[in-house]
Order: sequence, then C-alpha cells, then structure tokens
Amino acid sequence: MSGAILDLSQAPPPADLVVDVCVIGSGCGGGTAARVLAEAGREVVVLEEGGDRTGRQLTQRDGEMYDQLYMDRGGRATSDLGVTVLQGRALGGGGVINACDVVPIADGVLRHWVERHGLTDFTPEALAPYRDLALQDLSASRIADDQLNRPNALLRAGTEKLGWRGEVMMHNRVGCAGLGTCLIGCPIDAKRNPRFVSIPRAIEAGARFFTRARAVRIDDAEGELKTVTFRSLDARGYHERDTFTLRARTVILAANAIGSAQLLLRSGLGNDHVGRHLMLQPQMPIIARFAERTDPFRGIPQSYAITEFEREDDPEHGLWGFRVEPVMGTPGIVSTLLPFQGAAGLEAMTGYAFMAAALLLVPDRPSGRVEVARDGRPVIRYTQREDHQRRIRAAAEAAARAWLAAGAEEVFVPTLPPVSARTDAEVTRFRDLRFRVAAAPLVSAHQQGAVRFAASEKHGAADPEGRVYGTRGVYVFDSSGFPSSASSHTMAPIITVSRYLCDRLLTRMRA
Amino acid sequence: MSEPAPATDHPLSFLSRRRFLKVALAGGGVLLGTAGGGLALRGCAPDVDGLRLLDAQAYRTLSRLVEVMFPASALIPVDAQAFDLPRLFDGWLADEPEALQGDLKTALTLVEFGPILFEARLHTFSNLPPAERAAHWQGWGHSRLALRRQVSLGLRKFFNLVFFDRPEVWPHIGYPGPSLGVVSP
Repeated sequence: MSGAILDLSQAPPPADLVVDVCVIGSGCGGGTAARVLAEAGREVVVLEEGGDRTGRQLTQRDGEMYDQLYMDRGGRATSDLGVTVLQGRALGGGGVINACDVVPIADGVLRHWVERHGLTDFTPEALAPYRDLALQDLSASRIADDQLNRPNALLRAGTEKLGWRGEVMMHNRVGCAGLGTCLIGCPIDAKRNPRFVSIPRAIEAGARFFTRARAVRIDDAEGELKTVTFRSLDARGYHERDTFTLRARTVILAANAIGSAQLLLRSGLGNDHVGRHLMLQPQMPIIARFAERTDPFRGIPQSYAITEFEREDDPEHGLWGFRVEPVMGTPGIVSTLLPFQGAAGLEAMTGYAFMAAALLLVPDRPSGRVEVARDGRPVIRYTQREDHQRRIRAAAEAAARAWLAAGAEEVFVPTLPPVSARTDAEVTRFRDLRFRVAAAPLVSAHQQGAVRFAASEKHGAADPEGRVYGTRGVYVFDSSGFPSSASSHTMAPIITVSRYLCDRLLTRMRA
Repeated sequence: MSEPAPATDHPLSFLSRRRFLKVALAGGGVLLGTAGGGLALRGCAPDVDGLRLLDAQAYRTLSRLVEVMFPASALIPVDAQAFDLPRLFDGWLADEPEALQGDLKTALTLVEFGPILFEARLHTFSNLPPAERAAHWQGWGHSRLALRRQVSLGLRKFFNLVFFDRPEVWPHIGYPGPSLGVVSP
C-alpha cells in the first residue's frame, strides 16, 4: 500500500476500491484514527470534503480563507440565523482554523460521564494515557509570557488586579511568529494540527486521503462490507461532479457533530437519538476600547483565560460556569460582529487598532438537533436556554470588570442595540442583555453531541465503543459522541477519545 | 438524562427561514396588490451586463444597499461603489445551493419593497431619497420582526466581510495588512 493525498477535483479515485477502514473527515478525530489504524497495518482511505491548503496558500485574507477553509464558505448557521456555526472544511479539519487552544478533558468531566451517562469505561484512569498521547501529538506547551500580545496582557493585568484566578493557556504551535491570523490558517505552518502530525504519519503508514470528496451515503451497514457513496467536487469545492463508491469493512465517522449526524440521517442509519442532543456551546464577544493602540491583529490571539468562574466537576453538568478569553480576527470578520451600520459602522472600525475583544465561553446543555433538508444539506436547530443566557450575562459582567480594571475606556457587547459600560457601576447593565435571534452575535466553534455515546440504545445513538446502534461496524470517533461538553476547547478531547476508541477497535479486530 | 423543553425566545421559531420568507412575501404580495401596483412604483432598473444569477432589479437594490452601508465619509474616504460589491455578491450566490439562492433572491425583493410593506410608503427601497433609505435600512436590524433582522444580518455580514477585506480600506482603520504581505486571491 502506498499512502498519498489524492485531489478528486483533479483525478478520479481508483476503481473497485475495497479497504479495511473508510474514515469520513480528516480533522482531529479522523486524522488521528487514520494514523492509528494505518500504523496498525489496516488499509485506510479517508474522505475529506475540503481541499489541502498549506503555507502561503493560506493568504491571511478574510474573503478567500473563509470561503475555502470553512463549511458553507463561512456562512453556516442555525436555521434561524441565531448562531453562526464555525466548522473547518480542509485537510486537517478544524485544526487548520482554530485558535490552537489545548485544554485537555478534565477528570471531573470524565467522572460525570461515568456517573451520569453510564460510560463506565471512560474513567480518568483509563483515559489518562490517551490524554498524554494527545498532548504529545499536539506538541502541547504553555505559551510563554512574552508571547502574550497586548489584549491578552491587558486582560491578564485586569484579572490579577481583581484577584481572580486565570491562566496562560497551552497551545499547539511550534515556531510561532505571532502573525495573528490563526483563525484563517497559519501561512508558516506553525500549527501542530492533524495536517502536520497525524496525516503525514498516516500517509507514511499507507493511508490514502481523498480531498474534495463528499461522503453522501452509507449502505449495507449491517453487512461485512459497507458501501460508501461519495462525490467529487470542483477545485473550489462549490459543486458536486461525479459519483463513486468504495467498500469498507469498517466505517468511522469523524465529520464533526453536524456532519457525522448528517451522514447517518442521509443514510437512514441509527436510532431516534441520531441528530439529537446537539450542543453548540455558543460564545459571545465583548469588546473593549482603549485610549492607546492595542494592535489586536498581531500576536497570538488567544493566550490567557479567566478561569475564576469555571467548574469542571459540576455534579449535574460536568463542565459548567464560564470562562473568558481574548480573541481577535482580521478586519473583515471583526466588522461582521459589530452592531453598527452605515457611518456609525465605519466610525466603529476606525477604532479597530484600539480594540480588545474577549469571548465569553459558556458550556451548554443539549439544546439542539441536526436534521437533513431534501437536498441533503444539514439543518441545524438550536434554542438557547435561559440558564445559558443567565451565564452569558454573568460572563459579560465579569469580562467588563476585567477590561475596565485593565484601563479600558469603554466596554460593549455587540448586540443590536449594543449595551455598553464605562464604569464599574455601569456593568450591571449587562444583567439586562437580551438575546433576540439575529440581534445577538452568538458563535459556535465547538459543536458536540449529535450522535451521543450511551450505555444503552434507549439513551443514545452510539455505544461506549463508538459503534452506532443498529449497525455493524459503523462508528463515530469525534465530538458527536460527547454526552456533555468535554472542554472549553475540543481539539485535545477529540484526539484523546479518538485514540482511546481506536485502541478498543483494534483490540476487537485482533480478537 | 432527561432534557427539559427548551424555552423559545421568539414567537416564530417554529417556522423555517425558507417558509418564513415565503409567508412574508406572500403577505407582502397582498399588501402590494391593495396598494395599487408596487411593481410600477419600483420602476425599471438599468441593464447590467455579465451577471451570473441576479437580475438588474436585484443588482440595483444591492447597489443602493452598498451606498447605505458604506457612505462616502471623511473617516474612510473610499468609494465603495468602485469595488462593485453587488457583482461580487452575484458571483458568490451563483455558486451557492439552489435553496439558498431562492431564499436570498426573495430576501432582496423584500428589501426592495420594504418601505411599502413595513412603513406604508409609496417608494421602493431604491427610489427612497438617500437619507430616508439609510434610516429605513437601520430599521431592519432593529426590527421586532425576526425575518427583517435575519435579512439585515445576512447581508450585513457578507458586505462587511468583503468591504473590510479590501486593502484600500486598511490604512483608514489602522490595519497594516497581512503580516506576510498581500497575496492576490
């Protein structure tokens, strides 16, 4: 077997392909699975809808990069446009476009899964070796103090002034030059994401990655050989071209909580839980204006977190509370989050170099579902619950206090109309924040749970080994399976769980 | 673990966006009829060559929208019309799935007839005096009707993203450009 990346917009795949394993998706779950299984001697083919972009092909330009690196060209959202859903669409998946935050799955979350969701094998002790392997895969390290850019240093100063708990985060960059465009890809390939770790290793071990290949159906799910139907796309990934099939003994879904559920629903596979229990973990930005330049577009966008209000061992929910982290993007995407229009919008953007923004990261309970439209596209339904709104308000208040303590002249939440504060006394205004659909900029970057792992098919869509109930040899190895929010950032937990489930799968295959 | 029923925060959450657009436009059609010929009020738009999907009417609506969103300003003295952003929108939409194309074409029709439908005016969007057009468009983002906010949000996102991605704009917002220099898309 000889491993390779084959771009289906340029050439067709080999005919009559029969393989041991077909993996759908090449991100943290799929890339990891492909590597582990190929290194164990299995013949692996990976189907990836996105293209392969590295180095200077990552142009640092909003228009081109959101179009090419994100699902639905950056336009994916819930059906009511209430939540923007950011999801990677590239070889390497979400790891290509995330902010490189490494936050391992906490012991408290795993205990919650054991005790409340019956996943008795997911103990902290059982997962610990895989968590360590995930951190190795990511070359995870603590960000150095002198790498904190101005907004992160300011938030840290404000947090320390208030006496709150906070931390400099871990990341998966090596050789970072602080270019500041992590959310639209790193043009010097400093991210140790699947594209530069698991995928090359998988190829070395013989795995083949088909890019611009959209999986559209799985048939014969109870048979020895499953049939996977997929379509090639054009070079920019806009239109479907030709239809192909391959056959595989095992199919592993790792296309994100949206895509994995979508494919099962399109194929008519699984039980009634498929598509349900979706968590979007919606985040909301809060923006501070300073008198001096902050140059938020340079340096590592996200390197410090206020962790004072986060709980990782809530008995009812596992991960709960909230945390606050700075973030910033290129001008195009930042302008889309501001609530001002016309002359006021232009004026607001003239303050771009003086801004600092933070994200309010608030874990949620299952509150949504994935459905499939007649043309096969996913329909994402989500309702923000009252308890989530309450914690967003509390997070906005805390973040505002930290920014003001750091010397901000004004802090505002970019709802329509915006809510702002200039003094500590005014931050109580955030207690009245409203969350009207399409008037509150909620953003989801960590979708989880639409093919939930459960000890019995009464409670979930896949068993604790990742096998989809009602199938023989169709698995989910990504965040789809998480029964509650795994972490404020899901990259490390997905790699951890994928590695763990691969080992379980190999043990069964050998038996 | 049981899941409590989610709280709905807007009264029309049971309607899909597509269905909502259709219902709104059907209702609008009735209003237009009683208003005595909204189409006549819209008038003819000048021909535009080379569009892939949109017609001249939709192009004119978008051109007026761009004027409202990026007015000539001393703060950012850039002529947004020179970028031909409506044509960019047309090119983008032409490569989107049919369902979305239909939704957005309907949305543009709704914007054009917005002053008649929502404010009982006798002008369409393109024919409003510029200052009134700006005030009318502001109303879409702040509307109590989720549909109008959704249309406003969708169009605002697209045009903001492409406008502020232009190198001509960057010097006026203090952005020095990509750290490795500009690579042509």
